[in-house]
Formats: sequence, structure tokens, C-alpha cells
Amino acid sequence: MDKLGTMHFCALVLIGSWSVMGVAQESAADFSEGRALFESYQCWQCHGYQGQGGSAGVRIAPTIYPFEAFLQLVRHTNLMPAYSPNVLSDENLRRIYEYVRSIPEPPALEDIQKLSLY
Amino acid sequence: MKSDDKSQPDTIQKEDSENTNVNRREFLSSATAAGLAAASLGASKQALTQEAGQPLVAAIAPPSAAQEVMESDVPPGYDAKEAQEYFVKNPGSDFMVDVIKSLDFDYITTNPGSSFRGIHESLVNYGGNRAPELLTSPHEEQAIAIAHGYFKVTGRPLAMLAHGTVGLQHAAMAVYNAWCDRSPMVLLAGNHMDITSRRPGVEWSHSAQDCVRVIRDYIKWDDSPVSLQHFAESMVRAYKIAMTPPMGPVAVVLEGHLQEDEVGDQQLQIPAMTPTQPPSGDAGAVEEAALWLAEAENPVIVADLMAHDQEGVERLVALAEALQAPVVNQFGRMNFPNTHYLSQGANVVAQADVILGLELYDTWGTINTMRDRVHRDTQRKARPDARVISIGVNDLFMKSNYQSFQRYYSSDLSIAGDAQTTLPSLTEAVQSVMSGSRRMSNGEREERWRAAHTRAREQARDAARYAWNASPVSTARLYAELWNLVKDRDWALVSDDGMQSRWARRLWPIEKHYQFLGRSGGAGLGYGAPAAVGGALAHRSEGRLALNVQRDGDMMYVPGSFWTAAHHGIPMLTVTHNNQGYHQEFMHLQKMSARRQRGIDGSSWVGNELRNPDINLAKIVEGMGVWAEGPITDPSEVGPAMARALSVVDAGEPAFVDVRCQPR
Repeated sequence: MDKLGTMHFCALVLIGSWSVMGVAQESAADFSEGRALFESYQCWQCHGYQGQGGSAGVRIAPTIYPFEAFLQLVRHTNLMPAYSPNVLSDENLRRIYEYVRSIPEPPALEDIQKLSLY
Repeated sequence: MKSDDKSQPDTIQKEDSENTNVNRREFLSSATAAGLAAASLGASKQALTQEAGQPLVAAIAPPSAAQEVMESDVPPGYDAKEAQEYFVKNPGSDFMVDVIKSLDFDYITTNPGSSFRGIHESLVNYGGNRAPELLTSPHEEQAIAIAHGYFKVTGRPLAMLAHGTVGLQHAAMAVYNAWCDRSPMVLLAGNHMDITSRRPGVEWSHSAQDCVRVIRDYIKWDDSPVSLQHFAESMVRAYKIAMTPPMGPVAVVLEGHLQEDEVGDQQLQIPAMTPTQPPSGDAGAVEEAALWLAEAENPVIVADLMAHDQEGVERLVALAEALQAPVVNQFGRMNFPNTHYLSQGANVVAQADVILGLELYDTWGTINTMRDRVHRDTQRKARPDARVISIGVNDLFMKSNYQSFQRYYSSDLSIAGDAQTTLPSLTEAVQSVMSGSRRMSNGEREERWRAAHTRAREQARDAARYAWNASPVSTARLYAELWNLVKDRDWALVSDDGMQSRWARRLWPIEKHYQFLGRSGGAGLGYGAPAAVGGALAHRSEGRLALNVQRDGDMMYVPGSFWTAAHHGIPMLTVTHNNQGYHQEFMHLQKMSARRQRGIDGSSWVGNELRNPDINLAKIVEGMGVWAEGPITDPSEVGPAMARALSVVDAGEPAFVDVRCQPR
């Protein structure tokens, strides 16, 4: 397995081993700071303002990723430009992560009549 | 006005003298049009054969003595010599209009210019501004893209009139898009070659030794006729070349003196236009391809610039069902109904043992991928043992300077031919060589693909609910709201959804060829708005509801497109995907900043944003006579605003709703 494959594997293992641990207790102010970072670092350009994803980037919210997997995705996976600690510190990345985790679930499909489509 | 009023141009006489005193040129014009109706693309082969080689003028009776007198008379108060200084009785551009009418163009798009003032007048007064009708565009780039969009709906090319110099310079990018997108049109470029007769001033700066040079790298053919007969033959040749696959733009120069000078006693003829039958793949190679496909365990069909019309869609359905093979529609054209269970995502290519590529713009990119990293490495997406069959016209005509092709791929079997034309023989051959056991497996295959298709559609619906209530509005919601408004109508999308996460393709049932027009071709911004107007113009005569999802960045190139829609009464419902910037470039700048570790925080706005001040798109189009609302930021307001706009469109006018949206 090459380096890239190893990193992908690690990320997937971390994601797969994630158990329901409950959202960390964070203050609204902390989420607000994370949101500001999410916006200033322009994560939304590819992932959308609510992390919903699209053709430019995968959906990242609501996330079940542990922070370690999230960090791997941002730093190493080639699914996006590698954001090194020199431009985005672990601390700020964690704040962004906590904000992403705070994004609520969207309405259920059955509650959106306009997505009945055809 | 009386028909014997000799002080007026005899084209005006034509109106009063209709069905009574038909002058020679009018007679020539109508006879030519009638003759070419038989020589149209839809005419029978027998009729075409009969027309071929017979100049239409040969069937026209000579003018009567009375008509000769009428045309040779001088206006009251002038002697013959003076009249020759002031008046032209039979300008060359009238004959040019005869030629143009013979080719059955519906419209000529134009931004007016003095280098073609002669033919401009002839089109209006002699030609009656009918068949073709002039369509006014505030920019040549727009005029070309209107023709581009019109062709993709109707399969009929338009002509476009431009200054040979500044006009073609304005038009160039849009011509390049059309070239890349294999969309034919005939450019008519005004020019004055003879320096001894150029007026001082602008007629010099609007002339060139070789005015088509600026676009020659991305058109199929051009000519600069030096006589009217030369013009007639080159126009018919140009049309024929443009419409022969691989189709593309052509250009013919309109020499100033040919337009404005007397025809005199020239004996002019208009050649019949006999369409070239599109090339079909070699029979032996098609049989070989059929054998590979019929024997394959997992054949996959990939189609891009394939279907010319609904017939092409139905032919592909027939082949796919015969093989029970999934179809990946790359949507250069609407090739395959996305409601059909064999419509599948690009991931199926990885499973294929035989891949059939139909008119692929990028065969290499279908099979491989390249990662955009410091060191750009490539990986094969397809199985190592997968064999690739290519059918298409790429190898039949190409140019070298502009790289309107992709990386070379050595297909295992490469068949030169128009794919739509080749499909019936391929399907017949597949059915002929398919073994009984293979045929027996089709039921299981169908079941498998139906399940996969259903899963994919459910996944798309589920993905659309994320950010449903977000502001800015999610692009999924934008398309869902629009769909709920129009789902019971005969609708047609006249824009591409590639920059909106392909939500139309994922959420809407797209079954008709005319419901989706594909890409711009060269990815040059400034295509979207005018191509949508061209598409909407084509749909108008069919009574279809034209829908345009308009990007803000694209719109800012050619906002005058909306004026053309208002001026010519072209109904079209536009909703914007307004993300206040050049979003693709945001991401590129982010990527560069991250790669160079120079910081990302906020810098991506520089050079990419369309805000500060925010652009009020609704006000822009409102100022051009289009009903408009917006900007709308509340997702719950989107549907009601669209409904109000639709009532305007139903009354036959364009309407516009500006919606502030998520980036993609």
C-alpha cells in the first residue's frame, strides 16, 4: 500500500471506528468562532455554507467523523487541497470541526413535499 | 403608395404589387426560396437528386418588357446620367439576399455595422425582414451564442452578420465555443478590400487584408468572394461544410462593393444545396465492435456529443436495451433519458470489460484521471484489461493551434463515423451476433440496473435535502422549486447545470433531446445568457416553456442578451444562480494558496468577487425591459417569486428572478 493508500485507510478506519459519543459540550460562542473560521477559511466554497457538499466537495455536515479523521481529510487525503498546519492550525481546525458538528440535521425527506419530484 | 411610383425603391413596390406586378428580383427571390425548400435537409433523397446540378435561375422566366421598363426608369426630376450618380436599381446585396434566402435561414443575428450596410438594407427592404429575420444583439459575442443555442434546439444553423474586423474580434470567443461544441453557423463578415474606393476614416480601420484570420483557427472553412457568382457558390459550399459532421462554424466575407454596386448584366445562378449524408462507420469494423460488445461480461456505453435529435436518443436506447448495458451520459448533448434504468453514473466505467465511447470529447479522461497536485500524476480508472471502442467524427477534421481536443488515447477499435448514423447498424449487428445464453442473461442484468438506478435517484433526493432551509439558497432547492413550478408543462432547460452540482440531471426527468442543451464547448464565459435566449427563441415557435438558470459571472459578460429577449418578445423564465463571484476561480486560488502555504484566510475574494458593491441583477435587466424580482435570499420566497415570473412568461415575455445562492 502506498503512502496515499495508507492515509486513506487510516482515515477510513478512524471513521469506521467512530462510536456515538455525543456532541461535545460547547458554548454558542465557541461555535460562533468556529463558524467565523469556517467562513474566513472558505470551507464553504467547496462544501457549502452548511457543509452540504456538491459537485466541488463532499458533504461534511452533519458529520460523524471523529476529529482525527477530519484532520486527516484536511491535511493528507488528496480529496481536497492539503491545508498544512502552517496555514490552518490544529486548534483552528478543531474549532471548525466543532462548528461543523453543530450544524443540525436537515428536514427529513418525507417532510419536504417539493422533493417528491416524480 | 402606388405601384407605379418610381421614386421609391422597388422593394417597397413589392408590397403593393403583390400577386400582380412581380418585378424580376422579387420573382427571383420567391422562386429561389421555393426551390430551396425542396432542397432543405428534410427533403427526400429523390427530390434532392433532381435538384442537384440544376441552377435554380434556369427555371426562372425572363422579365417581361413592362418589368424591364419599370426597372430602368429614372426618378422624376433626374436625367439618366444624374440618376446613375444617386441611385442603384439592382444592388448586389439583393442577390446576396436571394442566396441567403435559398438556404432557408430562420434568423440572422447581428450587431449593426457600416461594412455590411448594403446587405442590411437589402435584408430589411428587399427581403422583407422575413426568413431570415434580423435579430438585434448589443454585442457580437451574444449574436454568435444566440445562434449556438438556437442550433442545439432545432438542428438548424443561423447566419450572423458582423464587421469583418471589430465585429469578428468581438465574436471570436463565442465562435470558439461553437467550434468546440460542434455547432454550425454561417458568419457573414463585412469588409472593403479595394483601397481606392474606401471612404476616409472608419472604413479603413474596419477593413483588413484577411479579416477572417482572427477566427480561422476555430472555424471549418471560409472564403472571401470577389464576385457575386463567387459569393453564391461559396455561401452554398459554406452551408454544406458547416452542416457536415463534425459540424462547425464557417465564414464568408461580404465585399463592400459587391454589396453596393449594380449587378448590371451579370447572369447569376444560385446552386442547389444538396446536403452531405453524414458518414457512417465501416461495416466490417461495426461488426467487430458488435462482437466485442455482445461477448462482453460488463459492456458500458459512454456518450457525449452524440445525439443530434430525438432520433439519436431513441437509437441509443435501442442499443443499450439490446445489450442491457449501462449508459453514462456525459451530457455534451442530451443522449439518453435519465429516467431510463440503464442511465447510470460514471462509476460503472470502472467495472467495464468493454467500453463503447460515442462521440467522446475526452476518451482519455473517460478512462483515466489526473490529480491536480504539485506533481500531476495519472491513474487509470478503467480495468487494465478493458477494451475501448470509439465511434465518432473527431478524427475526420481537426485543427492544431487551439487545443480543442484532449489527451491522446489509443482505443482498441476506432471507427470514424457519425455515431448517431452508425448506431442502427451497430444495434442490428449486436442482435445478430448475440448468443442465446447472453440473451438469456438480459433479465438478470435489467433487474440489477433497475435497482442501481433506483438507488441513485433516492440518493440524489436525499442529498437535496441538506441545506434545504439555508440562506444563501441551496442550488438543490433552487432546482426543486423550479421543477415543482413547471413539472406539468412542456418545459426545456436552456442552460447547463454543471456549475450547480448537476441538480437538473439528478432531480428532473430529462427525456427529450430538446430538454437539455449540454455545455458551452470551450468553457468561455458569456455563453450562458445568449445561448439561453437562442434556445428560448427556438422553443417559442414550439410553444415550449424555456427555463434558464443563469450564473451571475456569465451574465455580466453579455447582459444585453436580456434586452434582445425583451425586444424580440422571446419568453423565457430566468432564475439566477447568483453566488456573487467567479466561484471556480475561488477554488483555484484556494488551492494555490494552500499549496504554497501562504494563507487562505480571506484572500480568495481578491480578483474573484462580484460584490462590494453588490450587483443588482434584477435592476440591470429591468432597465432593459424585462420583468424582474430580487435579489431573494430567503428560500421560502423563491417559489412564490418564480410563480409570479412564470405568469409573465406565459404572457409571452421574458421574466427574471435573482436568487442569492450557495456557491455550487
